[in-house]
Amino acid sequence: MALTIYQGLFAGLLLLLAAAVITPLFAGRRKLAGALNFAFCLAAGVVFALVSVEVLSGGGPSDPFVLQLGGLSIPFLIDGFSALFLGLIALMSTLTAFYCIGYMEMEHYRHYGLRGFLFNYQIFVAGMVGIVTVDDLTIGFTIAWQMMTVASYFLIRFDHQDQAITRSATKYLLLMELAWLAVIAAAVLIPHAGLGTPLHALTEGLGSAEPGLRALIYGLLLFGFGMKVGMFPLGQLWLPDAHSSAPSPISAMLSGVMIKTGVYGIVRTLFWMVPPEMPGAQARQLGLILACFGVVTLFIGTVQALKQNDAKRLLAYSSIGQMGYILLGIGTAHWFMLSGNPLLQSLAVLALIGVLYHTTNHALFKGLLFLSTGSVQYATGTKDLDQLGGLLKLMPITALVAAIACVSIAGIPAFSGFASKWAIIASGLLGGKTAGIIVLFGVIALMTSTITLALTVKFYGMIFTASGIEWSRKGGVREVGVLMLLPMSLIGALCLVQGFFPGFFIELFIRIFAMSEGSLVQALFADPATAVSLTQSWAGVGFRLAPDGLPVAVVMPLALLAMLGVAGLFAAWLRRAGGAEQRQAPVWLCGYQTSNSANSYTSSHIFAAFKKFMWWTGGNVPRATKV
Amino acid sequence: MNPTTQTAWLLVGTNLLLFLALAPLFDGIVRRVAARVQNRQGPPLWQPLYDLLKLLGKENIDAVGILPFRLAPLVAFASILCVVMILPVAGRATALTPYADTLSLIYLLTLGGVAVLVGAFAGKNIFALIGASREMTTMIMVEPILFMILLLGVIKTGSLELTTVLYGTPAGDYGWSGLIMIVIALFALQAFVGRQPFDIAEAEQELLGGPFIEYSGPNYALFKYYMMIKQMFYAYLPIAVFVPLLHSGLLVVDLIAQMLLTALVFLLIGLLAATHPRYRIDQALNYFAGLFVLALGAVAGALFG
Repeated sequence: MALTIYQGLFAGLLLLLAAAVITPLFAGRRKLAGALNFAFCLAAGVVFALVSVEVLSGGGPSDPFVLQLGGLSIPFLIDGFSALFLGLIALMSTLTAFYCIGYMEMEHYRHYGLRGFLFNYQIFVAGMVGIVTVDDLTIGFTIAWQMMTVASYFLIRFDHQDQAITRSATKYLLLMELAWLAVIAAAVLIPHAGLGTPLHALTEGLGSAEPGLRALIYGLLLFGFGMKVGMFPLGQLWLPDAHSSAPSPISAMLSGVMIKTGVYGIVRTLFWMVPPEMPGAQARQLGLILACFGVVTLFIGTVQALKQNDAKRLLAYSSIGQMGYILLGIGTAHWFMLSGNPLLQSLAVLALIGVLYHTTNHALFKGLLFLSTGSVQYATGTKDLDQLGGLLKLMPITALVAAIACVSIAGIPAFSGFASKWAIIASGLLGGKTAGIIVLFGVIALMTSTITLALTVKFYGMIFTASGIEWSRKGGVREVGVLMLLPMSLIGALCLVQGFFPGFFIELFIRIFAMSEGSLVQALFADPATAVSLTQSWAGVGFRLAPDGLPVAVVMPLALLAMLGVAGLFAAWLRRAGGAEQRQAPVWLCGYQTSNSANSYTSSHIFAAFKKFMWWTGGNVPRATKV
Repeated sequence: MNPTTQTAWLLVGTNLLLFLALAPLFDGIVRRVAARVQNRQGPPLWQPLYDLLKLLGKENIDAVGILPFRLAPLVAFASILCVVMILPVAGRATALTPYADTLSLIYLLTLGGVAVLVGAFAGKNIFALIGASREMTTMIMVEPILFMILLLGVIKTGSLELTTVLYGTPAGDYGWSGLIMIVIALFALQAFVGRQPFDIAEAEQELLGGPFIEYSGPNYALFKYYMMIKQMFYAYLPIAVFVPLLHSGLLVVDLIAQMLLTALVFLLIGLLAATHPRYRIDQALNYFAGLFVLALGAVAGALFG
């Protein structure tokens, strides 16, 4: 069985590499090349998805596999944890490739050749697949990381005639190489480790290391992967610039999946690379440190996002913020897990489920948000929130899918961010006195979700409702074609599924940790009591601490949706009950004048007092001068 | 359906009736108090209800003709009704309480605020946008304070289940952090209910109703009703959390006791509103930040004390 899994993996990778060679040959015929690009991604994606499903449904432990390549041996391991990320990469890269067919036809990109783009797209995907399947931190890791980094560098600087863009891309490249150096240095410093040493051997090596050296190694790993995730203050250095420079589908890939490889690395470090020799009290400091970084990241990133007037920079900063939630969850889970306290350990389960849940949710809704912004840019030629507004009537379908993504990221009850943030926040709060400072982190996280809400309302309101486009673009704004709408709608539908059926995902994540060998939490997740503590019904999931007790926390998206629906019907009835007449009338501006570009209220004005109040968080945008 | 579930479903209805009927009355109390402070006679106590009924029959003017504009009042009103339906009033869980926890409650309350904003953004009116901007800023600062009031109960009981959080801690057990939190709750009350000195978002004299400026007739009635019920919820909350139940064994008696106390809170709201001029948004932000830090201190006290 093991062989078929790896055969599948290599078949998929070969498909991608073949595509990298073949598709650029057709670069002259843009639509055809785009379609080929998609077809290869789809084929590889299906193969990866089959591998992923095979591993996730197999249940048994997966054997590692060593690839001999010209005298070098590269260990591979696909366990449940890898399989999840593999599936995510396959899904998002395929749907994004679909979107690219239409998007790369954009007026602005017409005079750029697609050869490099097509080549690098495939290499980029192959590199990410490599990161989540290689089992070392030296040879295999280097090959995968470099493929991912260099290819994405060229993708980011696609629009290379703009100097600001090439500068951001270069900065991105340098910082990612720095991150690579940190991880490699950590791997080399581990005692008894050589080229191609698999992870479990590295963990043993860490066991025999001096505490000081161990701390240094963990520090380097957290630096390297933290850079990729966008952890404060590292993320601020590259993430907003790179994400706003890249073509939108590439931004969707960067934010949707690439930064998740950092999550992958950090979870592997914290839950697989802690040797049993290390005293728990010492090891769990790592978790606390990460939780501290997480809470700072989520707060600062989100507040900075609120200040942005460029739609893609706003989304990029908000990615940093959302990664903060994930880091907080990982840190909390680690700190709780090694506490030795059974209550905290069962909360660690909830936190870790929240981490995977939010990772998958964020991959989809943030990908979708970037694609929606791409469509808006395609149709209007701008991503400046000050110039946009009122697109809902002109681009109704884009507006609808963007709305789904927005309610998901904002965590409106019943949509996907609601359940995943619930798991992360509830796990922190329920610890009470024994959890200490983590409870306060939970308060900050909850406060930050209100800020997330504010920024999504601003993002959506300033693009699709309010007004603006009628003055900045005279006519000619049309809904994008079906080639772009279809992949967006598919992601939108998946977002809804993720939100409505938390039970399915929670069960999946429990199984993933239960079947992935060698982690700190495997025994706990494999314990049937864990599955029992998270009881499911049609409405959602309840979390209980004692098998016979009441649930101490519940997330019931469908029940809440049903309640809202019934109450909404009542409200609709009440609205009609008085027999009031309907009438259309223009907006009323105190009778002074009609609305125009000079008296409109734009993105730079909104939340002015709050932005000023939060000046110390950085990421400030100089106030635009009115043209 | 067994008798317990039947009672539990009855409680959903009771809650709805209670809030739908009393919220306008309590609003009437505030208006009467304000009038008396200003040496006026004041309107009848049921005037807010008459206003609502009249608005329901008035012309419904749609200035933009897009879905979010029409949907917003429905969502706002529906979200607050959901809050009421899951709320364990007088210590009794309703049939819907098990489907939500404290976090769901917070998110539902926020949803109402979001609906107001969406409506304001859809309206294309500058005054509405300024009001929305202020409303959201207030929400960011005030929401966590509300949450921290509930959090004390979470910390004491180790549960997020609503009945446990609201009623599971005997009042004496809250200690000094509970005392601080009561004070904070009272100081934040005007902001929770959007009354003077924190009626910054609507600011009738300055923004002409802010987020609601483009709404009229039944749509406006729904928003107004939403605001009244929300106001009643926030006034009721500190009573539920910090004042021990009578435990008379009779729901009606417990309920009447709680409602009388809520009426007292409204008296306070009215007095404060009538005697305090409106803050500017930046002044308000500093005020909220102070409350936030204090509340965080109280929570830390409960955690580490």
